[in-house]
Amino acid sequence: MKIEILYPEFCDINSDMGNVRYLKKCLPEAEFIETSINDVPAFIGEEEISLVYMGTLSEHSQEIVIQKLKPYKEKIEEAIEKNQLFLFTGNSVEVLGKYIEDEERKIEALGIFDVYAKRDMLHRHNSYFLGKYEDIAILGYKSQFTMLYGDNSNGYFATVDLGIGINEKSKLEGIRKNNFLATYIIGPILILNPLFTKKLLSLMGVKEPKLAFEEEVLESYNIKLKKFKTFTNFEK
Amino acid sequence: MNYKKTFRFYLALWLAKLSSFALKILKRNATYFPGKVALSICPDFMGRLDKPKTIIGVTGTNGKTTTCNMINDILSQNGFDFINNKYGSNIDGGIATTLISGSTITGKAKKDLAVLELDERSSNKIFPYVTPTYLVCTNLFRDSLMRNAHTEFISNILNKYIPKETIMIENADDIICSHIAEGNKKIYFSIDRLETDTEECRNIIRDGKLCPKCLTPIKYEYVRYHHIGKAYCPNCDYKCPKPDYHITNLDLKNMQMTLKFKDGEEVYDIINDNIINIYNMLAAIVVLKQLKLTQKQINDSFGKLKIVETRYTEESYKNYKIVTQLSKGMNPIACSMAFNYTRNEKGNKAVIVVLDDIHEEAKGMENTSWHYDTDYELLNDESIKQIILPGPRYMDSYIRCLMADIPREKMVHKKDIIEATSELKLDGIDKIFILHDLYAIEQAKQIKQKVKEIIDEYENK
Repeated sequence: MKIEILYPEFCDINSDMGNVRYLKKCLPEAEFIETSINDVPAFIGEEEISLVYMGTLSEHSQEIVIQKLKPYKEKIEEAIEKNQLFLFTGNSVEVLGKYIEDEERKIEALGIFDVYAKRDMLHRHNSYFLGKYEDIAILGYKSQFTMLYGDNSNGYFATVDLGIGINEKSKLEGIRKNNFLATYIIGPILILNPLFTKKLLSLMGVKEPKLAFEEEVLESYNIKLKKFKTFTNFEK
Repeated sequence: MNYKKTFRFYLALWLAKLSSFALKILKRNATYFPGKVALSICPDFMGRLDKPKTIIGVTGTNGKTTTCNMINDILSQNGFDFINNKYGSNIDGGIATTLISGSTITGKAKKDLAVLELDERSSNKIFPYVTPTYLVCTNLFRDSLMRNAHTEFISNILNKYIPKETIMIENADDIICSHIAEGNKKIYFSIDRLETDTEECRNIIRDGKLCPKCLTPIKYEYVRYHHIGKAYCPNCDYKCPKPDYHITNLDLKNMQMTLKFKDGEEVYDIINDNIINIYNMLAAIVVLKQLKLTQKQINDSFGKLKIVETRYTEESYKNYKIVTQLSKGMNPIACSMAFNYTRNEKGNKAVIVVLDDIHEEAKGMENTSWHYDTDYELLNDESIKQIILPGPRYMDSYIRCLMADIPREKMVHKKDIIEATSELKLDGIDKIFILHDLYAIEQAKQIKQKVKEIIDEYENK
């Protein structure tokens, strides 16, 4: 089994690499391919990749990544159509949208998804998130300068019970198309959400997935879930 | 910009001074509110107020407070008359409060010198109105991701707002910090290669991995910690600069260091062997030398200083040494450095880690992600016999320790701080470290008291 990490030298600004370290614990036999910014992504070629992961980027890094991925736009679209499994966290999905607005500038992105992002570097949005991916409760934290706009009603990562969706008015979080999954939740989402992680491992082809420190992460998940639900009641 | 004193300015000044007076009568802190009052009435108030002729600013991610405290104490001991924000806030309201306290009723500066700790994130609200003569940048690391986002964000703010006239005093061993305010006049400080430096970075995070000019992976002649070391791009001229002041001989055995600079060499006594505090001392010395203090003046004063108790204490209690050390929550580098210091201390240790960052919850938000940027792996060491993880974050810290391959049997994790501390085992232990967040000082005191009770019981057996 091969797992590809896109641009780890850029995409570790919000502790997102905790996800990769956890996957290494859960899948000690798996091969992890770290694709640097000057390399061609492995999933673009003929390699069979079980999961392609990309974490949060700085604003400048987003622009570099857009330029690096542009030549592969059609290959990426093709991979999504062929059910290649992707997990993009934080603002990384923005590189696949139409464009990113930054004050007067409009940064053209890959245009794979019919959404666009607006940056507001003077206001950082921080919030709790609680919602549902299919029937699994997802929890986590968001910290971001951007909001995403567009219609994701036909393809979202999770419904929202607490916090925001792709923008402050949206109650649908992230983007989903086939096995392409993207969420603005940052940090170690896979450690915080053991039930989702099991689901992800199943999608990767792991039979009867078993998590590292399963008992402890489940206990922590249940404590957090209980706490986040009290915030939901408060929000209502 | 040439700011004039308007009626609104005077109204803001007088109401601020009145509020400061009232707060002092009520025995309340007047370290932020008066400035906030002034800024809410007159947003460009600081631009209109007369300021001291010489302003020393200290900014950066870690070490601002300690460096400022050193500068303040040494200047005071040498008879300098100046204003500072030692007891106040380092954001715009706090800076305005300090400047107001040092001004007359007509807005004239009463003192010729100011030493200001400046929050790097608040640069956009301070530097348009306050031009430091010298600005120290201690280092630039990732900090609270909720507030400071990432180093590139903070670098951009500093680059945009630092005045062109300011002389920068920068850490040459920090490839990010040393490239701030590129067009300004600069003075660099550095510590030469140490025996403990390595070829590769051993920390789990390192910022500035790619050359910002040509995207080539950055290389290191040696790494000290995280991105601190002697870095260079193998493909272009981007690199750590040559220092103007550098420590050539760091002698921790005799607690002395040799400082080399263009005009000579000087020896200073070290007040704390933590590398972070040695950098802080170095930054303070460079500032004080710009103010023409002599080696004797500086070194004699260092002899009278110690790191403030909220940051570091050590006490010998019966046959044990109890150390409390600040491990600033939300700040993975500060915590990692505290873990590293603990690991490297001689003897067998029990470590109580109370990184209670839950105070953020009261502000309506929290984010535990930073634990995964923090090197808990450093606590996985033969000399650390027990790790106690108390407080509201007990599960987060416990799972993070499991991820660091720390054996379950070495750990105690419980929410109640006293109940968890009660499980301290003293067999074969020489030192007990209590690593605590800035907001967990009270809990640290309670834990320390409990540790003493356990020692008493153990010794009386």
